[in-house]
Amino acid sequence: MNLGPFLFGAPLALLGLIALPVIWYILRATPPTPKQADLPSLRLLDDLEAREETPARTPWWILLLRLIMAAAAILGLSLPIYAPGAIGDDAAGGPVLVIVDNGWTSAQRWSELRNAAASALDGESRDTPAHLLLTAPRELNQDPGERFTRTSFEARIRSLQPNPWPIDRADALARLTASNLSPARILWLTDGLDPETAEPFARALAETAPLTIYAAPPRGPAALSGLSADASGVTLTVRRADPVNAVSHYISALTLDGAALATTEADFAAGEADAEAVFTLPPAALARISRFQVTATSSAGNVWLWDSADRSRRVGLVSGDRTAQPLLSDMHYIRKALEPFATITEGELIDLIADNPDAIILTDIGQIDPVAEAAVTAWIEAGGALIRFSGPLMAAQDAPLVPAPLRRASRAIGGTLTWEEPQPLGAFPETSPFAGLIPPSDVKVRQQVLARPGPDLARRTWARLADGSPLVTADRRGAGTLVLYHVTAGPDWSDLPYSGVFVDMLRRTIAAGRGEAVPDEDGLYTPALALNGSGRLIQAGPNAAPLQAADFGTVIASETHPPGLYQGPSGTRALNVARDYRPAAVTNWPASAILLGDAEARNLRLGGLLLGFALILLAIDLLVALGLAGRLPRLAKTVAVITLLSLTFTTVLLQQPATAQLHNGPDIEQNTPSKEVEAALRMRLAYIETGDANTDRATSAGLLGLSLTLYRRSSVEPAEPHAVNLETDALDVYPILFLSLPENPNPFSALAVANLNRYMRSGGALFIDTRKGGSIGTSTSFEGLDAVLEGLDTPPLAPVPTDHVLTRSFYLLNGFPGRYAGRRLWIEATGASNRDDRRGDGVSRLFVGDADYLAAWAVDERGRALYSVDGGDQQREMAKRFGINLVIYVLTGNYKEDQVHLPALLERLGKEDHEPVDKTRDDPND
Amino acid sequence: MPLNAAAADVIHPGAAGRKRAGSGEQFWQFRRYAQTDAADQIDWRRSARSDEYFVREAELETARTILFWADPHPGFDWTGGREQMTKSTRAKTIMLALGSGLARSGERIGVLGGTRPPSLGKAAPDRLAEDLLTSQNEALPPPKSTALAVIASDFYDPVTDWQTRLAPLAGRCHHGVLLAVSDPIEHDFPYTGRTRFSRPGSLQTRIFGRAETVRDDYLARFEAHREALAQLALRMGWALVTHRTDQPALHGAAALQLALQQFGARR
Repeated sequence: MNLGPFLFGAPLALLGLIALPVIWYILRATPPTPKQADLPSLRLLDDLEAREETPARTPWWILLLRLIMAAAAILGLSLPIYAPGAIGDDAAGGPVLVIVDNGWTSAQRWSELRNAAASALDGESRDTPAHLLLTAPRELNQDPGERFTRTSFEARIRSLQPNPWPIDRADALARLTASNLSPARILWLTDGLDPETAEPFARALAETAPLTIYAAPPRGPAALSGLSADASGVTLTVRRADPVNAVSHYISALTLDGAALATTEADFAAGEADAEAVFTLPPAALARISRFQVTATSSAGNVWLWDSADRSRRVGLVSGDRTAQPLLSDMHYIRKALEPFATITEGELIDLIADNPDAIILTDIGQIDPVAEAAVTAWIEAGGALIRFSGPLMAAQDAPLVPAPLRRASRAIGGTLTWEEPQPLGAFPETSPFAGLIPPSDVKVRQQVLARPGPDLARRTWARLADGSPLVTADRRGAGTLVLYHVTAGPDWSDLPYSGVFVDMLRRTIAAGRGEAVPDEDGLYTPALALNGSGRLIQAGPNAAPLQAADFGTVIASETHPPGLYQGPSGTRALNVARDYRPAAVTNWPASAILLGDAEARNLRLGGLLLGFALILLAIDLLVALGLAGRLPRLAKTVAVITLLSLTFTTVLLQQPATAQLHNGPDIEQNTPSKEVEAALRMRLAYIETGDANTDRATSAGLLGLSLTLYRRSSVEPAEPHAVNLETDALDVYPILFLSLPENPNPFSALAVANLNRYMRSGGALFIDTRKGGSIGTSTSFEGLDAVLEGLDTPPLAPVPTDHVLTRSFYLLNGFPGRYAGRRLWIEATGASNRDDRRGDGVSRLFVGDADYLAAWAVDERGRALYSVDGGDQQREMAKRFGINLVIYVLTGNYKEDQVHLPALLERLGKEDHEPVDKTRDDPND
Repeated sequence: MPLNAAAADVIHPGAAGRKRAGSGEQFWQFRRYAQTDAADQIDWRRSARSDEYFVREAELETARTILFWADPHPGFDWTGGREQMTKSTRAKTIMLALGSGLARSGERIGVLGGTRPPSLGKAAPDRLAEDLLTSQNEALPPPKSTALAVIASDFYDPVTDWQTRLAPLAGRCHHGVLLAVSDPIEHDFPYTGRTRFSRPGSLQTRIFGRAETVRDDYLARFEAHREALAQLALRMGWALVTHRTDQPALHGAAALQLALQQFGARR
């Protein structure tokens, strides 16, 4: 039925309106329920007759409310539709053909297109059959000959989604002709783009039957059609179809999991169809970007997938360096420099070659064994890049795999024995890959290996020092490259690793070393992630087929090759549907066609709205009825509680993502036990738990005493001592650990000893007191110690020499008495540490004694000494002084040792400058 | 002697001193030592002042019995507002407060018609509390011996009914208190509009089309009922104490204590 702009789906339901007066009458007759009240004293009223019983009536406004409710429900059930543009009454007789452009260009206004398609059978043509033709081709196309009834057509339309590939109107026309369909009228819902295909298509349709067109060209930017990247950023080309107004749109750079790293603006000037969006981002951030998207739009064309073709490299690291201290390690600097740009693998050379990475980096490795050398050579010839760093080992040996022959010694520039100053970097040669980088002035090279001068040397040099000696040399070997940095990768020989240029140099080295020989156009790429029509990443469908690498420039996206990310031998490649697409709106429609405006194409179904309105009125009526019956106060409270609960719940839900993000980050307070935090925040002494309660108590008291003494007498102000468990606690936060052994100690576990070894290697100090000095006539014996700490990485030990720093780091001491006098203290023998142990510094990391020092230091909580000492108070004082010396020695490292020589040095200086020594010391500002 | 004591009880139920020698705390007299007296009864201080031995005698004191009863009717265990305690709880609170005071001054307290006899001493308030909470006795059985009775209810049943119910009790107990506890709503009758009233504990309901029209009648009847109740108490020689649950419990307790003191109870 048709009533002005309203169509009624079930007009018979309107008969229900007749019932309204009846409803009114019934409602009027039914009084509302009385209020309820309990009253014990009702008994007093037993014999009272009520004088005035007014007939109860429903108030007029409740009547009105209920009548409106009933009317709304009846109207809603008649399924009214507001359709101002109800179409084509004259041609209502025959079948309707609906043509939908369902390519990615329609995605932006898909809901409008779908709405218009669904309303094709509203109005007078409700009972005519419909046919559907979709212009985006698929493997199995919708047959235009298939007849739809009104309901099945609507269901089919509702399930339609835009496809992420372009439409093919010529193909669609061919299919229409093949189906021999002769519709009574045609409704074409189009994206309104591509005049060169749209106009002939429209003409052909208009010849077949009366044509109605609804065109919905994208309102915003239609396509991200290109990307150009350089080292400092990315430039995207954005295009639109209706170049009229000056507008700007936002474009976001997203990681693969959808986090936005940056957002920039693309400004369309008035009348311009193209705009550019420039992202200036640090390379580390660029490396994480996987796609760009025009914000607040949903279309496959508004997403640009960025593949890894020119970004991620695989690099293998081989290290000749075995130190446990990361900040002194060569590898640390390389890893930090490369991590943002490359996938790093570490391992043995042979294994790495088997992985076939883009580049392999060797730090200071002198000899490469023949097998590996042959493999490396072959790998380089095949296109790999071998990047080597020098170092003492390399300088000492004849290295075969170098770009230029080297001299057999390294050159030290600057230092006590040379006249030269440390050299800064010179300008980078124009031909080198480093050209364009600005050499930092504050980088000094102190030592390097030297290349033997030769005719080719200048050509092979990528970077020089200011004095012209090569810093980086490179040579091509077959398809690959061999690069040598003439300094170490760590800061031993130069400041280069500290500077930002080092990062750029490494990046360019890897990139330059990649070589042309990597067969880029070979290999099959299988679809990993695909875009759907709305521009979301989904798993690639079953029809998606692998793609040859060579085809990426030419292939047109389709169901077999959906736009998306393809995984292949050299990372991922992206197929972007809008690459080089130039949207243009159709303006020249056939004169015979009826063009629908936006408002006419839109239909509004009112049934649901009216029924919802009736339900809301019902809810209000319920509240009113309850209020009349006197139950509202309690109900109001309940409603308030429910509202509050739901509000809280919503708030919690809203806040949850934020909280979740927070939890992703390192949360120190939760993940770390407070003990470690305490120890890291304030310096304190610590002892190792032995499991023997008496001994542990004595040790604890001893450390407390030592801490108090330190606090009073020196500038070392330790906090309360900790007890540590070797297996579970973090040891690195304590400068020194004390181990005082009980009578019959339990051996420590292998894990505990391993932790202890690591602790000592990374710079910790261990003080062991065997407490056996009391037994007469024994010299210090380590027998028990071996059993307790089996596997402890013990350096050679020696008794403390009489002139050792330990005797003068704070107090001047003649011996090291503890509870027992005249015992020997053993420390690491000087000169025993070799190069591998960077703890060098000449500071002993292990102290072994047996004089029960901790007992001599021990005090109770009031500061009174706990144990007797052999030599009385004087010896106790000496023991305390030893304790202070020990802690100062451990904390200051070799500084104190150098201070021992200070008078002599100052004396020498004083002779030169005629400056009194004491004055310099008293007033350093002078 | 038992006869005398019983007679004294009848004449003077539960007053303090009996003006004769007996067990008690107050000094009564010294008398000469007799052969039948135990040696430790001799008052040596008095005896030292003369050649003869004297025995110290105290005044006879007997404890009175106070019996409590709270109406178990559901209408009594009811409150009109959420923030107030029920009438029954308030009545029991007041009675228990009184009871513990009385027990401290040596009276015997218990529940009327309870399973346990009235008791003395420190444990008595605890037992009274237990019995008050558990006792659901509708009837008002006269106690075995004379006692002071405290009857708590709202007394909304007709006064004649109450007279009948209380008559046997009043026959045994010459003194007692009627503690009428009421809810403020029962005083105010704040209802308007169409209201269905029901009485807790009975299925009877009444609908008033406009409750506000009944209010004046109700208030008049309420006053008249209270008046009749006071008359009834007076006729029995008892006292009527009224209490509203929106007043502090202290008021009720003070009024009740005053009433009891009027009958000669200590404190």
